[in-house]
Amino acid sequence: MRGTETLADLPPIRARRILQLALKCWPFIRPMFKHLLLLLGNAALVSLALLALGLLGTDLFNNKILVGDKLQPLQAQLLFVDESFVLGDIADNVNEREVLTESQRKTVRTRAMIWAAGLLVVVAPLVGGLVYYNIWIWQMINQNLRVAMIAKAEHLSLKYHSQSRVGDAIFRIYQDSATITSLVQETFVGPAAALYNIVLALAFLCFFEPRIALAAVFAMVPMILAAAWATRLLRERALANRVAFSNLTSRLQEIMIALRVVKANKGEGRVLERFDKDSHRALDAAFSLRMTIAVLEVAVTAIAALVTIGAEYVIVYWVLGERETFLGAAAVTVIGFAVWNLGAFEDARERLGGALFGATGLVGAWARLQDLFIGLERAFYLLDLEADIVDPDHPAPFPEPLESVTWQNVHFAYDPALPVLQGVDLVARSGTITAIVGGSGAGKSTLVSLLLRLYDPDRGRVLINDTDLRRLRVDDIREGVAIALQRNVLFAGTVADNIGYAARRPKRADIEAAARVASADGFIRELANGYDTELGERGGKLSSGQRQRLSLARAIVRNTPILILDEPTAALDAETEVEVMRNLRGWGRDKVVFLITHRVSTIRNADQIVFLEQGRPVEVGDHESLRLADGRYRSFVDAAVGESIRV
Amino acid sequence: MSEGAAAETANVVDRFVGEHHHDDRIDVDTEISSAQATRLLWRCLKLLGCAKSLFAAKFALQVGTLCFQLLTPWIAKIVIDNVILQKPIGATDVPYPPFMQPIVAFLDGMTPLEIMFALAMGYLAGLILIGMRAGEVSVGLFGSSFTGQDETAAAENKISGAYSESGGLWGLAEYAVGVRLSQRLANELRTRLFQRLTRLPMAVLAEKRTGDSLYRVLYDTASIPWAALDPTLTLGTAILTGAANMVLIGYSYEATAPQLVWLAWAVLPLVFAVTFPASNIMRRINQTKRSAGSATTNAMEETVASIDAVQSLGGMRAEAEKFASRSLESYFRERVAFVVGLLLFIGAAVAVVAIGLWVVIIVTDGIIEGRMSPGDFGVLFGMFFGIVFVPIEIGSFWLNLQTKLAPARRIFFFIDYESDDDHTGTALARITQGVDIEHVDYAYPDGRTALADVSLAMRLGETIAIVGPSGAGKTTLGCLIPGFLTPTRGRVLIDGQDLATLDIDAVRSHVAYVFQEQSLLAESIRENLLLANSDATERQMLDALELAGCMPFVREMPDGIDTPLGLSGNTLSVGQQQRLCIARGLVRDTRILILDEPTSALDPETEKALFDAMDRIAEGRLLIVIAHRLSTIRRADRIAFLDDGVLVETGTHDELMQRDAGAYRRFVELQSRDAGP
Repeated sequence: MRGTETLADLPPIRARRILQLALKCWPFIRPMFKHLLLLLGNAALVSLALLALGLLGTDLFNNKILVGDKLQPLQAQLLFVDESFVLGDIADNVNEREVLTESQRKTVRTRAMIWAAGLLVVVAPLVGGLVYYNIWIWQMINQNLRVAMIAKAEHLSLKYHSQSRVGDAIFRIYQDSATITSLVQETFVGPAAALYNIVLALAFLCFFEPRIALAAVFAMVPMILAAAWATRLLRERALANRVAFSNLTSRLQEIMIALRVVKANKGEGRVLERFDKDSHRALDAAFSLRMTIAVLEVAVTAIAALVTIGAEYVIVYWVLGERETFLGAAAVTVIGFAVWNLGAFEDARERLGGALFGATGLVGAWARLQDLFIGLERAFYLLDLEADIVDPDHPAPFPEPLESVTWQNVHFAYDPALPVLQGVDLVARSGTITAIVGGSGAGKSTLVSLLLRLYDPDRGRVLINDTDLRRLRVDDIREGVAIALQRNVLFAGTVADNIGYAARRPKRADIEAAARVASADGFIRELANGYDTELGERGGKLSSGQRQRLSLARAIVRNTPILILDEPTAALDAETEVEVMRNLRGWGRDKVVFLITHRVSTIRNADQIVFLEQGRPVEVGDHESLRLADGRYRSFVDAAVGESIRV
Repeated sequence: MSEGAAAETANVVDRFVGEHHHDDRIDVDTEISSAQATRLLWRCLKLLGCAKSLFAAKFALQVGTLCFQLLTPWIAKIVIDNVILQKPIGATDVPYPPFMQPIVAFLDGMTPLEIMFALAMGYLAGLILIGMRAGEVSVGLFGSSFTGQDETAAAENKISGAYSESGGLWGLAEYAVGVRLSQRLANELRTRLFQRLTRLPMAVLAEKRTGDSLYRVLYDTASIPWAALDPTLTLGTAILTGAANMVLIGYSYEATAPQLVWLAWAVLPLVFAVTFPASNIMRRINQTKRSAGSATTNAMEETVASIDAVQSLGGMRAEAEKFASRSLESYFRERVAFVVGLLLFIGAAVAVVAIGLWVVIIVTDGIIEGRMSPGDFGVLFGMFFGIVFVPIEIGSFWLNLQTKLAPARRIFFFIDYESDDDHTGTALARITQGVDIEHVDYAYPDGRTALADVSLAMRLGETIAIVGPSGAGKTTLGCLIPGFLTPTRGRVLIDGQDLATLDIDAVRSHVAYVFQEQSLLAESIRENLLLANSDATERQMLDALELAGCMPFVREMPDGIDTPLGLSGNTLSVGQQQRLCIARGLVRDTRILILDEPTSALDPETEKALFDAMDRIAEGRLLIVIAHRLSTIRRADRIAFLDDGVLVETGTHDELMQRDAGAYRRFVELQSRDAGP
C-alpha cells in the first residue's frame, strides 16, 4: 500500500467507473432490491404527504390561530366547526378582514392540536419503521458483500497475502466493504432522495411564486461551480488522508505484534519517535481535509443564506402589498394562501430553505464522496479480486484409494526472475514416509505448497494417482491433505478446539487419539482443565515444543490420505522427537507422509529422502544408501552431527 | 417482537438485553461502577491540562456562538410582529431583553419595509461573521455506522470530529480550533499510551494475541477527547444556554405568562426522571452491541492473521461461516439498539410533547387574548426547548458515558500497568565480569513453576549452552538476564550488583536477546538493523549480516540491504528470517548475547558456518545459546542442563559425557544414535 498510491496518480472519476461499480455491486444489492424499491416508494409518499400536511398546518396555525383569520370551508369541515367559522366570500379575503372571535380561535386551536397529536401517533411509527427498514436493507447488502469478500480473500492464493501487510488486508476487507455500501448509498440513493426533495420543494414554491423557485435554481449554479472548483483539492487531500491513516494503522499494528522484538532490541525510543511522526502526519492530513470541506460548505451555505435573505425581503414586500400568490386562489377552499400573508411567508420560506439547503447538502455529500471515490479504486481492487486457483468446470473425484503422489517435471517461480523449482520429478507411494531435505531456500516448502494447490506449477504436473491436481476441486484436495505448518498457529479456543479445528465434527476420542500420536496427550492432561483449557491470552504459556505438538495433532486428527509435516520436530527435544516419529510411523501405514526437515534424527526415519538443491532433487534414496553414496547428503549429515562424536 | 409463546418471548427478551459476551477477551466486565466511572472521568478531565489554551479558545468561541443564538429569535419576532403584521414596535406588554434594546430603539419609528431592510442588512453582516441563516459547521466522513465501520476508521473520525453551531468566519474558526483540540488530546494520550505499551514487562507480551489487543487499545484513545470535552464544553454550554433562557423567560414573560416560568422549572426534574432510566437501559444495550461488534472484528482479524494455517487446514468455509454469523449477530445488535433507542425516544418524546402542547396552549391563549403577539410564539417555544434541552443533554451524556469510559478503562489499565520504567536504579556503564544467577525461582502468574532454585555463574568470554527438554525453563532462564522476567525468589547479579537495583534500560543496552520466533518489521533490512542499534555504521551492519550468513541472499535482493521486507518478513524463508534476526542481535555489539534456539530452522551447513563465526563473536563476550541441537551445544565452553525447571548438570560436553547415568549423556545418546552408520 505505502508508496503505491501517490498524489500524482489520482484516479480519475468517470461516470463509467461509477456505473461499473454499481454493476459490480449489483449481485450484492439484487437480493435486497425489491426491499429498496418498496422503501423508496414509501419514503417518497410519506415526504409528499408531510409537505402537504405542513402547508395546511402552517396556514391553520399562523393565519387562523395566531392572527385570527376565518377558516377555509374544507378546514371547517375537517375541524367539525359550523359556518360561523368560515369566510363569507372565499374569493375575497383581501379587502374585508373578517376575523374569528377569541373563543372560536381557541376552539380551532384545540381541535387542530388534537389532529396534530393524532397524526403524530400515525406518522411517528411509520417513519420509525421506514428508518429501521432502511438500516436493515443496507446492513444486509453490506453483509452480502463482506461475506463474499472474506470468502474470496481466503481462497486467494498465498501470493496475495505474502505481498501485503495484514493491517492493510484488514483495512481493505472490513472497512472497504462498508465503504462500498456507503458509496452505493451515497452515490445513488442519497442524491436521488435529495433531488426528489429539492424538486418537491421547488414545486411547492411554484404554488406561491415561480420566480422564487427560479431564483433558487439560479442560486444552485454558483454552488455547483464552487463544488467543481474544490473537487481536485478535496480529492488530493482525501487521498493524502487515507494514505497517512493507512500507514499509521498498518505500521502500528505491526509494531504492536512485534513488541517483544522491539523491546529485546531496545528499539522503544526509535519506534516511539516514528509513531509520533506518523500520528502527526495522519492528524494533519485529517485536519486539512476537514477544513477544506468545512470551507466549501460554509461558502455554499452562504450562497443559500444570501438568496433566502433576499427572498424574504421581497416576500415581505409582497405581504405588505397583499399581493396575490401564483396558485393560492385555486386552492382557496382548502388553504388561505390566496394572498401573501404570515402563513404563506412562513411556508414559502421553509420550502425555499428546503430547496436551497437540500442543494448545499448535495454539495456536502459531493465533498464527502470525494473521500469515498478515493476508496473507489480500492473497492474495485476488492471486487475484482479473483482467486488465481480456480476449480475445473467438471471436476474429477478425489482418487481413492490413494496409491501415489507424483511431481512430473515441475517448474515454479513466485517471481519469474527467481525460479524456485526447476524440474522436479518425484514419486511418493502410499505407506511411505518421504523426507524432503535441502538448504534454506532450496524449494522444500514450495514443493508441498503445490501439492496443496496453493499455487499451480508454471510447467509440469502434480498428480494424485494418475489425476492431475488441476482436474480436482480445490476443496477436495485440501480435504485429502493435512498439513502441519512450521509456524505453529494457535487459535483462540480450548485445546480440544485447536486440535479439532480442521476436522469435520471431531469426536473427543479422535482428538485424544491424535494427541497421543503427537505425544501431546501427556502435557495436555497436566494443564489446568486438560483438553478444555482455554488457549490464547489466558491459557497459560505453552512452550514452543508443546505448540508444535498441538499443530501436529491438528493435522493428524483429520486422518487424511496425505499428511505433510513442515519441520515437525524443530522445537521438540530429542526424546519427544523419537516418540513422535515412532507413533507417526505406526499411524501412517496407508498414507503418504511428507516431512520437510533439517534434523537428521528425523530424516533417518524416512523411507525415501529427497535432497533438494536449487529447486532440483539431486539425490533420492534412503538414509543408508545416501550416506554410502558420499554425496551432498553425506556432507549434510556430517555437518549436522559433527564429525567428532563417537559415543 | 411480541409474537410467540411466553418462553420464546423470554428468550427473545434475554437476547435483547442479556449480557452475552461474544468474545470475553474484550470488555470482560460490562458494568463500570459509579465510583470507578468518577475516577476514570476525572483522569480524562485531567488530560485537558495539555491543551489549556485550545480548550479556552474553543470555550470562548462557543460562548460567543451562544450569545448570537440568543439574538436570533427576537429578530424573527420583529419580522413577524412589526414587519408582516405591521404592529408598532413596543405595542405589546412583552419587554425586549436589555441586549435587544439598542436594536429596538434603532428600528423604532421606521416603516415595516424600512425595518425589514435594516434587518436584511443585519442578516448579511451576521451571515459573514457567524453564518446567520446559513447554519452550523460540522463535517463527518464515511457512511452510516449502522452498516458498520472498522474500529480504526471510526476512531479516525472521532479523533478529528468537531462542530460549531455557528457558521461563517466564526464557525470556521471554532471548527478549526475544535478539530485541533480533540486531535491534540487524542494524540497526547495516544503517544503516552504507546510509550507505556512499549514499556510493558515482557511477560505480558508473551502471547501473540496480545499484540492485536494492544493495537485496539491504542485506537480506544479516540473516545477519550470527547469523554473529557462532553462534560466540560458540551454540558457547560448546554447549561449556560438553559440558564440564559431561564433568565430571559423570567425577564420578558413573567408578567404575561407566569405559568411558563414555573413550568420551565418544573420540566427539569420531569425530563430527568424520564431520561435517566432510559439511559440506563440504553447503556446495557449498547454494551452488548459493542461486544458483538468486537467479536466480528476478532473473527476476521484472526482469520486474516492466520490465513496460511486456515487455508492449509481447509478451514476456509468454516471461517467464512463463523465470520458471517458473527457479522449478522452484530447487525442484529445494532438494530436492537436502534429499536430500543427509538422506543425510549418515543417515551421521552411523549413526555416532552405533552409539555410542549401545554406550552402551545398557554402561549396561544396569551396571543389570542392579546397579551402577547404572534411573534412571541417562536421566541417562547425556542426558549422553552433551550431549557428542556439541558436535561436531555445531561441524560445523553450519562447514556454515552459508559461507551466512552469502557475504552478509558482499558487505556488507563495499561498506563497504570507495571512498566519497565518503574525499574530504575544505578546505571551500569559497562559490564566487566559477568552474570550470576543465585537461587532463583520463577513461577508463572498462574502458579506453575518454571524454575526452581537455579544457580549459575557466567563470565564474559564464555559460551554457555542451556540445554534441556521442551518446557524445561530454558527460555525463562534466558529472559531473567535482561530483566524481561523478574525472579519470584533469588537474585540475578550483573557484575555483582543485583539486577533489581540497576537501571533496567542500562542493563538492556548491554544485552542482546535473539528470540526463538523470528519477527521482522515490514521495513527495509537496514531499518530492521537500525531498530536494534540506531548508531550502527554501514560497516557494522554488513559485518553482522556477513557473520549471520545473510549476505548470500541479501546480495541477491533487488535493493540489497535497502530491500523492503513483506509482512513479518514473510517474503523470506524461515531460515533466512532467522539469520536476519541473528544479524539484528549481532549489530548491537553488546557484551552479552543470548540466542534462543537461533538455528532451529537453519540447515546444518548454514548453522555450522554461523557457529564457526560465533567463535569469533564470542571473544570478550558472554554468549548464551539455548539449543537442542548437538552440533550447537558441543561447541559451548559449558553446558547447563535443565530439566523441569531444575538445573541438573553443568560442565563441558566431555565432562558431562563421562557421567554414566547423566541426564545430558542420555540426551546426547538419543540424538547421536541417528548419526551412526
